[in-house]
Amino acid sequence: MSTFVDVNIVKYLCSCGKRHPVCRLYLCRHCLKLRCGDCVQHEVDTPYCPNCLENMPSAEAKLKKNRCSNCFDCPSCGHTLTTRATSTSVPDPEDPNKTTPKKMYYMVCGFCRWTTRDVGIQDKPVASGGWEDLENKDTKQIFSLLETYEKIAQKEKAEKERKKYVRRRSYLSYAAGMDKYGMVSVAAKRKQGNLANLSIKENEEVSFSMVKPSETVKTFDPLPESIFTEPIQLDKMSTISQRHASADFQPGESSALYPLHKHLLIRRSLRCKECEHNLSKPEFNPISIKFKIQLIALHHIPEIKIFSLPELNLKKECKVVLTLTNPSAYNCSISFLQPDPKEDNFSNAKVELPKHPIVVAQRDDAALYDDGSQGHEAFKDDPSVIAYRKSNKVGFFMKVKPQNPDEDVKLSFLLKHEYRNTAIALPSENQEPQIASLQHQVFINLGPPKKK
Amino acid sequence: MPLLEGLSYSSDKNVIVFEIGAAYTRCGLAGEAGPRCIVPSQVKNKVTGKVEKLWDFETVDQLYENLKDFLFNLYFRHLLVNAKDRRVVICESILCPSAFRDTLAKVLFKHFEASSVLFAVGQVDCLLGLGTHTGLVVDVGYNETVVLPVYEGIPVLKALQCVPLGGKSIHKRIESQLKETGKITTGSKEEEPLSTVPDCLNEEILEDIKVRCCFVTNLQRASQIHKVTLHGEDQSKLPLPPPGVKYPLDGNRLLLVNGGVREHSCEVLFEQDNEQQSISTIILDAIINAPIDMRRDLAENIVIIGGTSMLPGFHDRLCVELYHLLKNNKYQNELSIKLFKFHKLLTKENCACWLGGAMLGALETLPSKSISRDTYLQTGKLPDWCCLSEETEEQEKATARS
Ligand SMILES: [Zn+2]
Ligand SMILES: [Zn+2]
Ligand SMILES: [Zn+2]
Ligand SMILES: [Zn+2]
Repeated sequence: MSTFVDVNIVKYLCSCGKRHPVCRLYLCRHCLKLRCGDCVQHEVDTPYCPNCLENMPSAEAKLKKNRCSNCFDCPSCGHTLTTRATSTSVPDPEDPNKTTPKKMYYMVCGFCRWTTRDVGIQDKPVASGGWEDLENKDTKQIFSLLETYEKIAQKEKAEKERKKYVRRRSYLSYAAGMDKYGMVSVAAKRKQGNLANLSIKENEEVSFSMVKPSETVKTFDPLPESIFTEPIQLDKMSTISQRHASADFQPGESSALYPLHKHLLIRRSLRCKECEHNLSKPEFNPISIKFKIQLIALHHIPEIKIFSLPELNLKKECKVVLTLTNPSAYNCSISFLQPDPKEDNFSNAKVELPKHPIVVAQRDDAALYDDGSQGHEAFKDDPSVIAYRKSNKVGFFMKVKPQNPDEDVKLSFLLKHEYRNTAIALPSENQEPQIASLQHQVFINLGPPKKK
Repeated sequence: MPLLEGLSYSSDKNVIVFEIGAAYTRCGLAGEAGPRCIVPSQVKNKVTGKVEKLWDFETVDQLYENLKDFLFNLYFRHLLVNAKDRRVVICESILCPSAFRDTLAKVLFKHFEASSVLFAVGQVDCLLGLGTHTGLVVDVGYNETVVLPVYEGIPVLKALQCVPLGGKSIHKRIESQLKETGKITTGSKEEEPLSTVPDCLNEEILEDIKVRCCFVTNLQRASQIHKVTLHGEDQSKLPLPPPGVKYPLDGNRLLLVNGGVREHSCEVLFEQDNEQQSISTIILDAIINAPIDMRRDLAENIVIIGGTSMLPGFHDRLCVELYHLLKNNKYQNELSIKLFKFHKLLTKENCACWLGGAMLGALETLPSKSISRDTYLQTGKLPDWCCLSEETEEQEKATARS
């Protein structure tokens, strides 16, 4: 029965032309169109640490490379490290012959048992902070190189501005364009520069000579002889993901693994690309699971589900029961239309849709706890159309005639319903909410027909 | 933080630098010394739940969807920045197929609305990270090894060499050797040959065996090994292998990886099997194919990059073997080189291209070297990279006029 739960069986057409299950869609209240993850603008809200749940301003987060200063991950397995306290004896400052107990702290992984002591990191006298970071000694030289490049680039840019009005397009760039791979005009290209995307030499050799090139070596250290005779211990060698987790150092041995600052997360807000209104905006406080704005389609659009599926016999009429759920706080009248056959390349079965609109009761959270026996009388239902009613759900029959023995039975229809737009109305001025009529195309895959 | 913007080009614009390698992707911000993260170049398909490698695409539509999901994760889980109106630097291989580049450009411009994209050739821009602009770049990657001479910032394309030897060929070799000689035990039971237990190896395990157990042996032992494995001499001539390893598989099964596998598998890079080519011979071939007046400079500025070159023993072996090959008749007659010099990188071998891209992205000249979204949307395609300068110049002129 798991297929009945599979959200991918029933899909709605998003305004961008993609088909998604309704739980993946948003409804923009201003454009009154469905939007999906692919056609909305994703925006980064404030970063926060998933462990200490502390917000960090974006500027600071950038400086700290999106990592929390106080929380650490295990470099061995990635689990969060916890701080442990131990007691050691230190000489008493007043009487050197006596000792006093002192609290010291180290970090331990509750999952794989890795500790900072394993790799020779000294215990710290304070509970948080105090863990020095590894220093990359090449960083200094990288930045000094970059500084020089910046100067050259500035010069080049200024030069270009100056030349812009004087220079005519030279014959040389045509030649370079035609000589795709050859070396015909190395000299010419050298003047034109730019294949390396940094045309330093165009200006003057003098500038590049400011750059101090890296050292060269003539030989490398050979493998230690011990590698041919000593057995290796697998657990002393780090795995590639452990190495990559510390991209600057990539230690080959487990003994060089170092605690990793915990990576921050962000909350995302979503914005409609057309009208730029927010479709989803989380609350600022990372502890809260609420949203300031959350316009998911499930809260506004009637949902279709498959309730029961008979045997799908070829060329025979099969009665499929679909459930229709009304999420709004008003009774909703829903009608079904055939899609334009010219535009429908999805369905492959003959379908008989309910001819008259179906009214579905409003969502009433209290009624969910009743047994649902009342309320039936309010609607005069045609039992050949309506299979059952329960609070804001209606089960209705749809007659399907499978045509193609080799494909899944697929059908498509338009679902038309009213939508009370509370976004624009101002309740304080007693304005009536605006009522709009929305129409969505729905695609259902009923699975393979029965084989004879 | 609009207050801080405009202070310095690199520090506040958050230019994004991606290097989408065949096996791993590096990503981070321009002007920084290292990538923020290194992640496998793969995505989990949302519908099927299967992991798909980015480069194993069947159609460009599939690639588009996968790149979209993949980059989304990088932007919002690792970099934590908005993608819209952001400048991007892509470090790509000189051999990057245009279908990949075009699709990537489409995803960046149309889906993520990047304000500009610079496509930089990784094997060229890695020299920036060394403060040089002449070098013989040896890029030992996952699918292939590329050797590209770069002279004063310009790639000497007619001397470009490439062999399909890299991390992947080592994985394949480990697999075939294990299928031949590997044994499995389950503690109490007798050892069984691996071939009786189907499908217990996957690429992840093979990679892990490579990373944690294998090494590139020295030339002396290697020539002994080649005499046996390639020229049919007796097994007894093999040097005494290093000790084997008991490698834990799932369950309580142990895979016995013998010393031969540990030592021999990386030899696939050096065997000269494939039309007498190995990663060492193509280095010399690249020098021979470069103009005579460049050769010495190239030989004295060898730059070894790419993740596969990080195997223990790799650098020493390559260096010793280059001198050894010089004594070969073929090279003795054609090359008068006596000395090789190798650059010491300021970063790890697998981040060298990324670092070059991160430097390009931090410079004020970035906009003039990049393709802007407007240009892309107008023309609907990327200019061929070797005509790029021409196009952007035109574009600049146009903006100057308006
Ligand atoms: Zn959409
Ligand atoms: Zn924290
Ligand atoms: Zn752990
Ligand atoms: Zn909208």
